Order: sequence, then structure tokens, then C-alpha cells
Amino acid sequence: MRKANTHTLYWIGITLVLFPILVVLGIYMRTVQFGQLPATQSWFYPMMTLHGLGMVGVCYAASMACAVDALRRYIEPSGAISWLALAGTVAGVVLLLVSVFLGKFAAGWYFLYPLPMRGNWPAWSTVMFLSAITVLGATWLIWSVDMLRAIARRYSLSEALGWHYLAGRTEPEVPPLVLITTVSLIACVACLVAGVIALALSFADVLGGVRSDALLMKNLTFFFGHVLVNLSMYLGLAVTYEVLPEYAGRPWKANKIVALSWNTVLVVFLAAYFHHLYMDFVQPVVVQYIGQVASYISSIPAAVVTLFGALMLVYRSKMRWNLASILLFVGLAGWAIGGGGAGIDSTILVNMKFHNTLWVPAHFHTYMLMGLMLLVTGYFYHCCQAATELPEKPSFHNLVILLLMVGGYGMLFMFYLSGAASIPRRFAVYPAELAHGAGYAGLGALFAALFLVGLIVFFVEIGKRWIRAFRVAV
Amino acid sequence: MRVIIVGLLATLACCGAELAQAADLQSSLRNEVRLVDRRLPDMPLRLGDGRVVQLSSLWRDTPLLVTFFYQRCTGTCIPSLRLIRDAVQQVGGLGRDYRVLALSFDDVDTVADMRLQADAMELASDPNWFFAVAAGKNVAQITSELDFGYWRDPSTGQYVHESLLVAVDQGRVIRALLGYPIPLSRFRELAWELRGSFVPYYEVPGERLLRCFEFNPRTGGFRPDWGLLLLLAQGVTAIAVALTVFNRPAR
Repeated sequence: MRKANTHTLYWIGITLVLFPILVVLGIYMRTVQFGQLPATQSWFYPMMTLHGLGMVGVCYAASMACAVDALRRYIEPSGAISWLALAGTVAGVVLLLVSVFLGKFAAGWYFLYPLPMRGNWPAWSTVMFLSAITVLGATWLIWSVDMLRAIARRYSLSEALGWHYLAGRTEPEVPPLVLITTVSLIACVACLVAGVIALALSFADVLGGVRSDALLMKNLTFFFGHVLVNLSMYLGLAVTYEVLPEYAGRPWKANKIVALSWNTVLVVFLAAYFHHLYMDFVQPVVVQYIGQVASYISSIPAAVVTLFGALMLVYRSKMRWNLASILLFVGLAGWAIGGGGAGIDSTILVNMKFHNTLWVPAHFHTYMLMGLMLLVTGYFYHCCQAATELPEKPSFHNLVILLLMVGGYGMLFMFYLSGAASIPRRFAVYPAELAHGAGYAGLGALFAALFLVGLIVFFVEIGKRWIRAFRVAV
Repeated sequence: MRVIIVGLLATLACCGAELAQAADLQSSLRNEVRLVDRRLPDMPLRLGDGRVVQLSSLWRDTPLLVTFFYQRCTGTCIPSLRLIRDAVQQVGGLGRDYRVLALSFDDVDTVADMRLQADAMELASDPNWFFAVAAGKNVAQITSELDFGYWRDPSTGQYVHESLLVAVDQGRVIRALLGYPIPLSRFRELAWELRGSFVPYYEVPGERLLRCFEFNPRTGGFRPDWGLLLLLAQGVTAIAVALTVFNRPAR
């Protein structure tokens, strides 16, 4: 039995509360798009904003919590900063809830300039929303820098990034968890600095009337958003590198190929966000091509190396399949499938057709929901199970997986079909020309409800373990 | 001390004047944007040289710059025409990229007045400049289409009016410049559009804080602006943070 860390248990608790609520908001939106709940249509965009930012925040914080927990085997993060991360995140969420529920702020989680300042919601709700992101961003920046500090106490920068592997040496042995987390945290600092600049310029507008260049703001905002979402994914992968070998009974070590692929990610993926600006005709054309090339180079090597490594790890091993290992494995599959969808959409020729259709939520829900969230929940279950060692019921676990897979991929399939049928995203109600979108939305809502049932069953299973682990730890 | 106070007051006054000018220009820009894509009605025109032509014949081969004036104007009409003439000479492309029509909106003006005006500006022999009058109802129609307002002050007999220059391609407004005087840089941008070049960035007065790129109306290219440094700042900061944090002997 392995005692669970108190901070990790708090993060698990927060995730278990917030995640299903945000799923319910998603089901609500698809239901409105289906043409139901007409009296609540005015809440569609505030809920879309809360669902978007809430999910991104939960994904980032949960994946970071997983990485921090897994890294405790090698390094010592600051206890005070861990508490600050918890408190700051809760404070940010409270500000966000006030902005959305009392102020009906509805500019979407991108808060794309100048929409937050031009909407039909009160100015104070914009200030509240920007304050929420400021608190979250500042907290996470401190958290990230502290983690880098903790890594730096044991490893030099070249070791943490695995450069000695590139030079042909194999010592000191650096776990892939450390390598990938270091890459992610350095990128995290960059993206949070971009967020700080975008927020400062937004505050200058809303409080001082100082206008900013919309193109500059869009670049800053998408750099922040794109990198934050991707590095959350990478943190989820990092813990998979650490935990999956425990179930396979084989090591999954860093080597030259792993180091090369993740260093490529660090160098290139900061430029991949340009693919969000293909429709911005004032962006120089050369930058658009950089966006496409960087999207391919940043995603394909790491994906191929990781997936190949995972398959080799599992192939003909005496794999112990339980809820944790299955979730981690299918989470990797979700990442790969969603990444494929993203790769398709990052191709300029395809993006001309798919841009801002439901293809976009299709692919990001694939790698976030069926990728990252399954990795995170798998890791959380792994922690709670290791801390309690309660007997497991394979048939019960199979039911959970079945519900999550059928519900999740059914919902995603409706998104993909809608995107292929040119249904635009962010429409609360479909006009007559897009009436076929409502049918897909209705089916999507049903599948999502099935996913939610699977999630609740899973929470019952992990909840028992969490309560017991919490009692032991506290 | 007194010098400092006077200096500060002067600086504030200059800033205030600049901000007021920027606000005026922003208001003009909003009105200019409204005119883009509007279609001009075709109509017969009587030119200063005595010919009667259809307005559409003037934009058939090249885009047409259209401005309004009246010959007796003691205000901005004649200075504005001179400014356009001088800008055309500096920017070039007259005849090849565009032609210019100065249309009177005063029903008192005659063909002879148009000839006199062309002579006065030494443009009578230029085949790409047209000074013209039109029937009152046609003038009312075209000025209404372009939201060009004018009102006769009975005490002076002069018109109260704005200054407007519109670029028309095949009868459709592609750009409008409101106000007097028109900065040469804005005229250059207009000329690039008339040549069929895409102008991706317009300078918006008062909104110049930290832009990514700047269009150079002299060369037609674009150059990086200070805002681009902000896009580099995040990467540089991340590298600096990593180097600082890891700048200690590993345990």
C-alpha cells in the first residue's frame, strides 16, 4: 500500500466535482442545438464560455497535479507552492463563476479581442473574467516555475532535456517523465507570459480605453491557448510513460529517439499555433506555411515515438489490465485519433473547408476528453487504488469502459459527421439551411449522456477509494 | 520650475490636440468604411470641354477617382482639388491606373465654369482629368448614394459641406477618403488599391499601440512593427527563466 499525497487527493476531489458539472454543460449546449430548452437559449453562450474555460482549466490543473504527484519519486516540490496552486485555482474558478452566472459573460474561453469589450454584458463581468484568468495564470506560472526549480535541484538543464542521450551517452538515467515535464513546463512559462501580455492589453482597453491591434491580440491569445492545451496533453503523456510500465512489468526508458522527439516538440510546437490564424488574411503568407509545417513536425515525431513505445511495451507483456491501465491505454488511443483529426485540420487546403465547422470541436474533444481526461482519470484511479488496495471487479470495470467508449466516441462521431456536413460551430440555434445539424446535436447529447453515466459509475468506483485514501492521508 | 510647468502644459496641449485629431480621423474612418461597396448611378455628364458623356464611360477602362466641388467655393473645394492634383503628380499612375472626375454639386455652375476651373488648375489639356456638371436630380442622386451632405447658407450663399474623394471601380466604391486635408500616405494607399494591390494594414489613428506589421505606402511592402517583439518576448522569457532556474549545480 502506498500512501497518497494530500495535495493530489485534493486535486482528485476538485476534478471529480468539476468535471461532471462541465460535462453536463456540454450536454446542455447540444440539447439547445437540438432545439430543446428554448427558454434557456440566452444561457447558451455564457455556458459555452464556462464549459470551454472550465474544461481547459480542469485539464491543465489535473494533468499538472498528476505530473507533480508522479514526479515526487524524483524531486521535492514546495509544499507552500502546492497549497498556493490549489487556493489560486479555486479563487480563479470562483471569479469565473461570478462572471458567467451573475454577469452573463459570454465571449467564449478564447476571450478573443475585442469581443470581451464589445458584448452585451456589463463591463464588470469582463473585468471579473479577465481577473479570473489573471489569478489562474499567475498561480499556474508560479506553480510551473516551482516545478522547474524542483527539477533543477536534481538535474541540470541538459540532463532534464535529455541532451546527453543525443550526445550518445546513457548516464545519468533520466525518466521520460522528467524529460517531458521539463519540455512542457518551459513551454508553459512561454504560454503564460503570452497570456499575461494579452491580459495586460485587455485590461488597458477595458479600464483605460487604450485600443490594441486585433492581429497582435489574436496571435498572443492563440499562442497562450494552443500551447496551454497541448502541454496539458503532454503532461498526461508524461505520467503514462511513468505508470504504464508498472502494469506491463517492463521499463519504458528514455533514449536518443525519445529525447530527440520531445526536444523537437519544444523547439517547433511553439510555432504550430499559427494554424489557428489561417483565415486571418492579414497574417503574412509565409507565417501560414510555417504554421502548417510546424504542426506536422511538432506532432508526428512525438506521437509516433510514444505510440510505438506504448505498443511495444504492451505487446506480449504480462500486462495487468485494470481500470487504470485500460484508461491509460485507451487515453493514448484517443490522443492519437484526435491528433489525426487535428493534423487533418491543420492542413491549409482542408482548413479552408473545415475552419470553424464542428470538425474543430470534434478533434479537440477527441484528444482532450477521450485522450487527456482518460489519462488523468486513469492516473487518479491508479493513485487511489495504490493507496487503498481495495479488491477490483473486472466486470464492473469493463462496464465503465464500455459506457465511456460508446458514449464518448458516439458523441464525437456526431461532431465529426456535423463537421464533414459543414455545420458551423458556436451556433446556439441552427437556421433552416443547417437544420440537419440539429439531428446530429440531439444524437450527440444522447451519447454524451451515456458517457456521463459511465463517468458516474467510474466516480462511484474511484470515490470509495478516494474517501478511504483521504482518511488515511489526513 | 516655471519652465517645467510651461513645458508640461504645452506637452499636454499638444497631446490633447493630437488625441482630438485622432478621434476625428477615427470618426471619418468609420464613415468611410460605410461607403465601400456602394454602387454609383450612371448619368450623363457635361464636361468642361463641351462633350456630353456617360459617367460609366469614365470608369469603363480604368478606376475613377470622384470628388465634389463647386466653383464659387471660398472654403476647402479649390485647395482640396489642388491637393489631389499635387498628390496625383507625386504618386503617379494617372491615366494608367486611374482617372479623376471633379463633379460640381452647385446647380449654378456651368460648362464654362468647369473649363475655367480646369484652366486655372492647368489641367485643361490633361485627358485624364474631368471637370463636369450634371442635372440637379442626378447630382442629388449620386451625392445621396455617397452620403455627401451639403447645405447652402443663405447669409453667405456658400455651401456648408465635407470633402470627399471616392475611388470607383466599375461603378463600385472600393475606397473613400473623407476630410481635408487628405494625408499623402493615405492617398498612396489608395493608389496601391487602384493598381489592384492588396493593402492588408491600414493605419488607424490613435490605435497604433504595438502593432504586428505596418504597411509602407511608399514601397507597397510591409515591415515588422514593435508589437512583433511581444510575440518573441514569451519565448525569450521562457528561455531566460529556464536558464536562470537551472543555473545551479545539480544535486
